[in-house]
Amino acid sequence: MSKGKMREEEIRRIIRADDEWEPVGPTPMPSLIDLRNWDFRLLDTYEPFYAPFCDLCCLCTYGKCDLTGNKRGACGIDIASQQARWILMCVLMGTAAHGAHGRHMVDHLIEKLGADTKIDLGSQINVEAPIIRTVMGLKPETLGDLRKAIEYVEQEMIHLVSATHMGQEGSYRDFESKAFHAAMLDHVALETADIAQIVGFGFPTSVADTPLVDLGWGAVDSTKPTIVVVGHNAVTANAIVDYLRQHDLYDKVEVAGICCTALDVTRYDSGAKVIGPLSRQRFFLKAGLADVIVTDEQCVLTDIPQMAKDTGAALIACSDKICYGLENASARPAVDILRAVLEEQKQFLILDPERAAEVIVQAALALAPMRRDKKQLVTAAEGAALAAKCRGTCEECNRVCPNLLPVSVAVNQAREGNFAKLGEVFLRCLGCGKCEEACGHQIPILRLMQVAATRDTYKMRAGRGPIHDVEIRKVGSPIVLGTIPGVILFAGCSNFPGDIDEVAWLAEELARRKYIVNLSGCAAMAAAMSKDADGKTIFEKYIPEFDAGCIVNLGSCVANSHVVGAAIKIANIFATLPNRANYELMADYILNRVGACAVVWGPYSQKALAIGTGAVRWGIPVVLGPHASKYRRLFMSKKEASDWTVVDGRTKQRVDTKEPTPEHMMVVTETKERALVTIIKQCFRRNDTPPGRAIKLNSYISAYKQVMGSLPDDLQNFIRTEKEIPIVYKREVLAYLKEVGWQPKPVLSLPTIIGTYETEVPIEATIK
Amino acid sequence: MASETMVMPYYKFNVLTGTKAAKVIADPAEGAAIIDRAKNPLYIFGPEVIANPVGACLLIDYALKIAKSRDMPICATAHVKKKMLELGVKPDCTYDIIEIIHFLKDKNWSGVRGKGYHDLVLFAGVRCDLAERGLATLKHFAPHLKTFAVCRRSHPNADFAVPVIVKGDKWREYLEGLIEALGVKA
Repeated sequence: MSKGKMREEEIRRIIRADDEWEPVGPTPMPSLIDLRNWDFRLLDTYEPFYAPFCDLCCLCTYGKCDLTGNKRGACGIDIASQQARWILMCVLMGTAAHGAHGRHMVDHLIEKLGADTKIDLGSQINVEAPIIRTVMGLKPETLGDLRKAIEYVEQEMIHLVSATHMGQEGSYRDFESKAFHAAMLDHVALETADIAQIVGFGFPTSVADTPLVDLGWGAVDSTKPTIVVVGHNAVTANAIVDYLRQHDLYDKVEVAGICCTALDVTRYDSGAKVIGPLSRQRFFLKAGLADVIVTDEQCVLTDIPQMAKDTGAALIACSDKICYGLENASARPAVDILRAVLEEQKQFLILDPERAAEVIVQAALALAPMRRDKKQLVTAAEGAALAAKCRGTCEECNRVCPNLLPVSVAVNQAREGNFAKLGEVFLRCLGCGKCEEACGHQIPILRLMQVAATRDTYKMRAGRGPIHDVEIRKVGSPIVLGTIPGVILFAGCSNFPGDIDEVAWLAEELARRKYIVNLSGCAAMAAAMSKDADGKTIFEKYIPEFDAGCIVNLGSCVANSHVVGAAIKIANIFATLPNRANYELMADYILNRVGACAVVWGPYSQKALAIGTGAVRWGIPVVLGPHASKYRRLFMSKKEASDWTVVDGRTKQRVDTKEPTPEHMMVVTETKERALVTIIKQCFRRNDTPPGRAIKLNSYISAYKQVMGSLPDDLQNFIRTEKEIPIVYKREVLAYLKEVGWQPKPVLSLPTIIGTYETEVPIEATIK
Repeated sequence: MASETMVMPYYKFNVLTGTKAAKVIADPAEGAAIIDRAKNPLYIFGPEVIANPVGACLLIDYALKIAKSRDMPICATAHVKKKMLELGVKPDCTYDIIEIIHFLKDKNWSGVRGKGYHDLVLFAGVRCDLAERGLATLKHFAPHLKTFAVCRRSHPNADFAVPVIVKGDKWREYLEGLIEALGVKA
């Protein structure tokens, strides 16, 4: 179904097509099927891998239908398509969460500052919105233009949601294409939300060396009135900071946060504290150290009202996404609300940020003196008494632990006053509380962890937002040639399979091998929760620039957009390819020439799925932790057995490169050791020069030997000429290559998959 | 053949499935018979084989005996290879768990030793939630093979599964029984 002339005219009007910053490319504001051929081309090499989490479909009243094996549902759907449909639904949830966040942020800031407020990201950034420019063809100049981006996301989503209805789409490949589309919209929403808040709240931009902020539950000075903000939308958190400043209360009240609101409020005010990632949410709130809990949106536990009641904390919910059944007091005078909070312990929904801030601060000031006894942590003696009924034999707590932890052993040892094992469990704990629920003796295991949990404090760099154009000019060439071995993004949640410090380990292993390491969201927080022998975190040890061997904290979840943005900028600024409405051209460039890899080591949310799926459509491979297998879909090649034919942009001839690069587009690894070698491998690109490939191979071999104890047994797949063999391993590798019968492979300087499928993009467009 | 009622595995999280569940192999001798019936079996070693003790040994010590008894090829996933090399055993291949499952789905795959598709795949030491997902993939998309989860926490998505065995000495006895039934001195 074509867009139709009226829609095409409308699009030209929305993107101001007559603006001459670049000619409009083939896919301005693409609809559901405009990039379908690109998607199918990706799926040809990287087949969807499905791991059904449930064999049934119970989405309509035909069923439940059993889809086991080759059975079909009453509607005709098979198990593969049902998995793909589920994926589309989950990606849509993630996109909706980011999109609604962006919509709220943009509307709030337009209301406050006006739609004509200019987008200015500072002297180091001219390409302000590479994703919006590439996807929509719009160069956003004002907050009003950002609203256009959100409107585009919203408009596309209605069609995508429609496709999930019973009796609509029936092909797993088309469901995946639609999931790619939804995820691409997610990236538009991410970029929109972060640009809006940078502009509207004056977050750091065009500066790399952002302040180091305090992190860890021990960093919170709970002797002060303590406000804890939870979620991902810092509008109210920032209003709280404003209120404290305006009323000269800034030093008298503690503001701390959990999840991305914490990251964003520290971008607004580096004096705020970061308690930690989502996995610390229930643990901290049950500890009772917060006088007032403030919830906004996304990744907010749904039983916070009960936890607030149990600890005598006040609760103010500030988002229409999470109302908790509370009275909407947005229009009531602050003094009335405050009275009900203090005298009746009533919890409220307040959607007016300024009014909410007044109530929150005043409630914290009034409650803190009355709650001193509630802020006392459990002592070792009390802990042993709480654990007294445990015999360590029923193992009910173990059996419900989603991270497979030996909780019963730890609690049983705590009974005897030994909290060491519980400390180890705490480092791997996801904070779900299922162990408490299962305990037949009602032992409050999360409270017990107060005794065992380290109260260390850490330093994390505040999020810095977009990568600078000047940084791109500096690293563009070495990235594309391969001499900077890769750009890594650690994104996502805290559903880690092992200790919380595994992200720090991975990040440091890569940084010291000269990869450009970027972090965001809960991954950035977790990476800060590990110190070296000198007591320093990776944020204190490594330079915060987008350069080889550096470590960057981008910011919250919405700041993930800046790594994709950086990859686009390499094509656009360094290679001077036009990005305006040129999705396939940019994605093809990234897939073949930019050695980037996204890592989500602790994935749990639909948002993380959307971010990862979006990365794949851009040509960026994704490496996931084991919990991601529960997303139920990956994208994998058959390694050397797949078809690795590309077009040589210089000769326009098809060439079978015989090298599986990148090898997979979305893959789960089981351990951090395996993740390390997989991440390194996913940064190989067909465009690597022999010296660049030699540097990448050097990293691969050294890491593989470190964790696997031998040469990689797929080395022959990635060595194209003998020149690429790292000198330090030359003799050993040559002997191995002889043993396996290695043959040289072609080295291309302009590889592209444009021309290997039906597209409006000419091969000439890939060459500048 | 599936059991008529679903057996609750050790981990209640993340494993509940659908209508087709594993046949529980309570008798190690029956497990040995399953292995014996296979023409081209494969043994997948996950990282817990080198982390989990069984009595005074590691799980890998038992798993190696089982593999050697029938000259089964071994796929070392995660970072198991390093420990195997230290033990003087070279694994037949070193894919990660999801990668080997991706290959196993394909009936036309040459197999680890080039003898065609594997008709029986044994799992040991893969973290349970991840193993369960891989077993679900094979249950749905690999009708040409059977799976046997040699794990004391039990796996409903396998074709054959060990029952839940909580006590360590009972688990050791099960493994020793399996090895003995395969005709090897435990």
